[in-house]
Amino acid sequence: MISSPALDKPGSRAMIELEEVHKRFNAGTINEIYALRGVNLVIGEGQFVTVIGTNGSGKSTFLNMAAGTILPDTGTVRIAGEDMTRKKDYERARSMARVFQNPFMGTAPDMTIAENLLLAYLRGERRYPRFGLNAKRLEFFKERVKELEMQLEDRLDALIGTLSGGQRQALSLLMAVIKEPKVLLLDEHTAALDPKSAAQVIKLTKTFVERGKLTTLMVTHSMQQALELGDRTIMMHQGQIIDDIPKAEKERLTVDDLLDKFADLRKTEKLTDEIIEQLRREYV
Amino acid sequence: MELWVGAFNLGLLYAFMAMGVFITFRVHDFPDITVDSSFVTGAAVTAVLIVAGINPLVALGLSFLAGACAGAITAFIHTRFNINGLLSGIIVMTGLYSVNLHIMGKSNIPLLDRPGIVSFAGKLNPGMAPEVWLGIVFLLVVALFWLLVSLFFMTDFGITMRATGNNPTMAGSTGVNVNAVKMMGIALANGFVAVSGSLVAQYQGFTDIGMGIGSIVFGLAAVIIGESIVRTRSVYGKVAGVIAGSIMFRLMVALALYAGLNPIDLKLITAVFVLVILVAPKLITGEGIGRVPLKKRIRRLIPARKFSIGLIALFCVAVIGSSMYVLVSRGLTPGKKKVTIGVVQLSDTGLLNITRDSFLDEMKRLGYEEGKTAIFYVENAHGDMATVNSIIDKFLVKKADIVVPISTGCAQAAINKIKDRPVVFATVANPFIIGAGKSDTDHMANVTGVYGAAPVDTLMELVTGIFPGPIKIGCMWDPSQQNAVYNADRLRSVISKNRNVAFVGATVTGSSEVYQAAVSLVGKGIDAIVLPPDNIVFSAFESIVKAAAARRIPIFISDVERLQDGALGACGYDYASSGMQAAKIVDRIIKGEKPAAIPFEQYKKLTIGINSKVAKDLGIEIPREVLARTTVTVGDDRIGLPGSAAKKTDSRPRRLALFVFSDSYVLKLVADGVMDELKKSGTLVRYNIRVDLKNAQNDYATAQAIIQDIVRQKYDYLITASTLALQVAANGNKQIPHIFGAVTDPYRMGVARSPADHIPNLTGVATFQPVESTIKAMRAIFPGARRIGIVWNPAEANSEACTEKARAAATQNGFQLVERTVNSTDEVRDAVAALLAKDIDLFFTSGDNTVILAFATIAALLKERKVPYFTNDPTDIQRGAFFSIGADYIEVGVETARMAEKVIAGESPKDIPIKDYAPEKIGVNQDLARLYGVKIPEHLLKKAAVKK
Ligand SMILES: Nc1ncnc2c1ncn2[C@@H]1O[C@H](COP(=O)(O)OP(=O)(O)O)[C@@H](O)[C@H]1O
Ligand SMILES: [Mg+2]
Repeated sequence: MISSPALDKPGSRAMIELEEVHKRFNAGTINEIYALRGVNLVIGEGQFVTVIGTNGSGKSTFLNMAAGTILPDTGTVRIAGEDMTRKKDYERARSMARVFQNPFMGTAPDMTIAENLLLAYLRGERRYPRFGLNAKRLEFFKERVKELEMQLEDRLDALIGTLSGGQRQALSLLMAVIKEPKVLLLDEHTAALDPKSAAQVIKLTKTFVERGKLTTLMVTHSMQQALELGDRTIMMHQGQIIDDIPKAEKERLTVDDLLDKFADLRKTEKLTDEIIEQLRREYV
Repeated sequence: MELWVGAFNLGLLYAFMAMGVFITFRVHDFPDITVDSSFVTGAAVTAVLIVAGINPLVALGLSFLAGACAGAITAFIHTRFNINGLLSGIIVMTGLYSVNLHIMGKSNIPLLDRPGIVSFAGKLNPGMAPEVWLGIVFLLVVALFWLLVSLFFMTDFGITMRATGNNPTMAGSTGVNVNAVKMMGIALANGFVAVSGSLVAQYQGFTDIGMGIGSIVFGLAAVIIGESIVRTRSVYGKVAGVIAGSIMFRLMVALALYAGLNPIDLKLITAVFVLVILVAPKLITGEGIGRVPLKKRIRRLIPARKFSIGLIALFCVAVIGSSMYVLVSRGLTPGKKKVTIGVVQLSDTGLLNITRDSFLDEMKRLGYEEGKTAIFYVENAHGDMATVNSIIDKFLVKKADIVVPISTGCAQAAINKIKDRPVVFATVANPFIIGAGKSDTDHMANVTGVYGAAPVDTLMELVTGIFPGPIKIGCMWDPSQQNAVYNADRLRSVISKNRNVAFVGATVTGSSEVYQAAVSLVGKGIDAIVLPPDNIVFSAFESIVKAAAARRIPIFISDVERLQDGALGACGYDYASSGMQAAKIVDRIIKGEKPAAIPFEQYKKLTIGINSKVAKDLGIEIPREVLARTTVTVGDDRIGLPGSAAKKTDSRPRRLALFVFSDSYVLKLVADGVMDELKKSGTLVRYNIRVDLKNAQNDYATAQAIIQDIVRQKYDYLITASTLALQVAANGNKQIPHIFGAVTDPYRMGVARSPADHIPNLTGVATFQPVESTIKAMRAIFPGARRIGIVWNPAEANSEACTEKARAAATQNGFQLVERTVNSTDEVRDAVAALLAKDIDLFFTSGDNTVILAFATIAALLKERKVPYFTNDPTDIQRGAFFSIGADYIEVGVETARMAEKVIAGESPKDIPIKDYAPEKIGVNQDLARLYGVKIPEHLLKKAAVKK
């Protein structure tokens, strides 16, 4: 196991470990993109990590690497100590759930709310041809949907396709946590929502993560969120992790401090002026 | 009543297939064409197992598994190799066709009187009309199926499967192995389709290799119709809709048939209908096709969904309306005393048509007149077995007194369905293998008819009569046709009794493969081709003739009609007699005889024929004993026999085709030369010859068509001008004497090996560019020159030949030939420039079409450097060549015509050697000579025909 300054609870187990992970897209063509350039990271069990970085810095790729939808060229990915480098997404789904940026990605539009929840409820289990939506399960789903405060609890047999983006994303979040995974992966999951829905989804995220003590990796486009949420913030740039801010430091920081931090980084020539400007535009 | 109940029942049985299509198309989001073949797989497995005595329920289960395997393979190809689903389906469907044939071992397996689920259900009948009882049983079974499938879709696994189709990314993220679930879904779907095939086979009483064609379109139509009549979100409703759609579709087919619409049109209507339903919503919303939507107003008026309901309504109204129209215009109920006869044939094949027509003629002769004393329903299933069943249902609805099925397939369907009225079959090779009876007298009580297996033994006697020594026979057949296999087997068994005869077989799957099969047989060194009846092979007979002609191999065939088309011998039944005999049996039944008491009859009239023209062409002597047995002889002995040609001269004007490839200047000169000579010599008048000029306008396809037409019209002589014309004609015409001209090198083209050794029906004049004379002239004009530059395109065969000659001639005359090759005209300039840098003294172009297109460029470049330009076409002088020696093409035409005159006078082209003839014509550019300060020797100047 590699040591990391940010493993702030000494002795706790590592949940996600990435070791020297490299990824090139379209390797060998003129469109080659070197998306991850030697990422090393250890996230402890129960840690809530936020990820920030410029567009195209590799945040999503990094998240997909953990989820298993993209496999690394070289390097190792371990989940809960087990080598998962070559395992596909559905083989990791037992311990891992995710919410996509696009609300349309996380739900099946032509099926009902209950059916979608059932699908999530069967995460990591064998799917037998036995009757799925029994009264007990429906009651359970109803309870959980109530928590979303989206007035959906009485519409369990409505088709997902008829819901708003906020409702769909809240459901996606519920679907991700309903089976209490070990790891929760969130990729800018509020970016496409209106502010009110976004606030609600963030609130729900906090509740669910705290309640389930989930190891969480959340890519965000908001500095504010990055600072307020979680125990640790990492910053990515050009396929590398260029900063790793532990909880103690985060508590002292303001958004401006963070931007100043970018400025400091600039001195070490990791960032250029334009990037600072870009960050300011994107995140504030 | 039977028609509607029958259609309803078929709809129920096909509902299993529609459900399969629903799973692939609606759940997994791609239409899987595999169903066209897996339907047959189900039917095939069931038939083979039932015949082997296995319990029909077990057979049904195994059919399901077989279909599921097929589906799994499609899904595997699709998911594992990431190949488009439609394409994967096409691949598996195609391959499965052969597998199905292997399972069945033949193309058609009868299940008549075999235990089966359907016949078992029939036995439990408490006394209702059989079809109605079956309908009730099927309805119960399908209701159970509906319940099970609906429940399945609501189980954990069912929901997972639906989600996988609906949003694969999300399914994957919740731990679903998307590819595996897809595989199971497509397997399940094809399993259902196979169950459908199995049940339909048991219902109709046989399995046929062709019964699955068009399944996918039918399934799609059923799914779409179902969705529009049952509009609901509930799973129960959706599944019910699929079943309803299937029934609805079958009822519409029945209605159309009842009204007399042509079943072929129905398929087209269905296809258009499915297309419109798929496209209409997109057109209206503009979604997914990148187009601006129709005007908003229209959109507000007709929302997409309503629009598609409207379309479906329109479709139904169209079918019902046209049906009603036909009904009313026909008059609704036939009179009472008239006898009603239903005639159905399987497809539009010559011998079936002959049977039908002769049957109807003979009926008329016997006094049964349409409308007065009898009503005839004459139907053609156009090769579709499902349609045969519906047609027979229709006959029952129309209360036909007697049903006359023509062909084995129709007879099989008819005897299986009809038990309560007479069936008289005609043109059936072997009624015993389809279960119509055990012997001529011991047969099904309501069935009799006329049959006959083609006399392959007599055919072989004809072959061995002509070729008494040891010979090797080639034969081909389509294994998907039961009759064809049966006949080929009989031929083999006849041959196996004769030590002198060896047998080589080839199989085809469709008429498009016949030519290839024939070529491969010919390549195996056979001495004759013998063709027992096979509709597919016969339909491509011309291509066999073509393949056989290449090696001059005689053809023997079981169809006398084909004698004219190039067979040497034929021996077959006269199918007209089959129809006539059937009509006589029908007459006896109408007059009160019981079919049970009428023995099966064999055809009586056997025809043996010889084509004497083919015999002459092949140089085959027909023995006297054989000739004595023949009943017809076709072909006249004129062509290729000079002696007899002279006899017939006066009686009939002869025709000569003069075929040029294009309007080019040179070819015009040749044609003029030919015509001048033919007229001047008086040949046209003396032999009463008419000349038709044919011009292909520089188009290859036109050239082919012209040659085909010349052959079909049996012209007496053919003259061609240009290499391409020779090539096309040599390929397409093996009979008409052919004289060619304006050809550079006939040896290179494979029509001849040497002047005397050439294809027997052609000869002509070869005119090589006068390369040698040109190079000799170079030496005469430029005694001190050393290097000749030449640019040529190696892709041009003619140019290559010229260059080879130039190399030899250059060496002989003490020159060095400096070559540059080009692939296209735009490379010519650089090539010439490169040669100029190499200090060439002279430049030469001969017969290269690529280079000649850059003539002006070359001439300018050369003039600048004062390098004299030599060519092989005197017309180049006007455009800037220095010196040219070319052929005089009028003279070439004259020479060609002279050779034709020899043929017309009675010589065989075979005996006339090809003549190398290049009458030289010289062109000199005196302007350039002055400019370059060169003196042209007097003897060349004197001969020059073109000067500048
Ligand atoms: N599937 C892919 N194929 C090719 N390039 C990709 C793919 N996914 C991401 N990329 C590229 O990799 C880089 C990193 O992308 P991403 O991880 O999505 O960035 P971020 O989420 O930080 O904005 C970008 O340049 C992006 O264009
Ligand atoms: Mg991203």
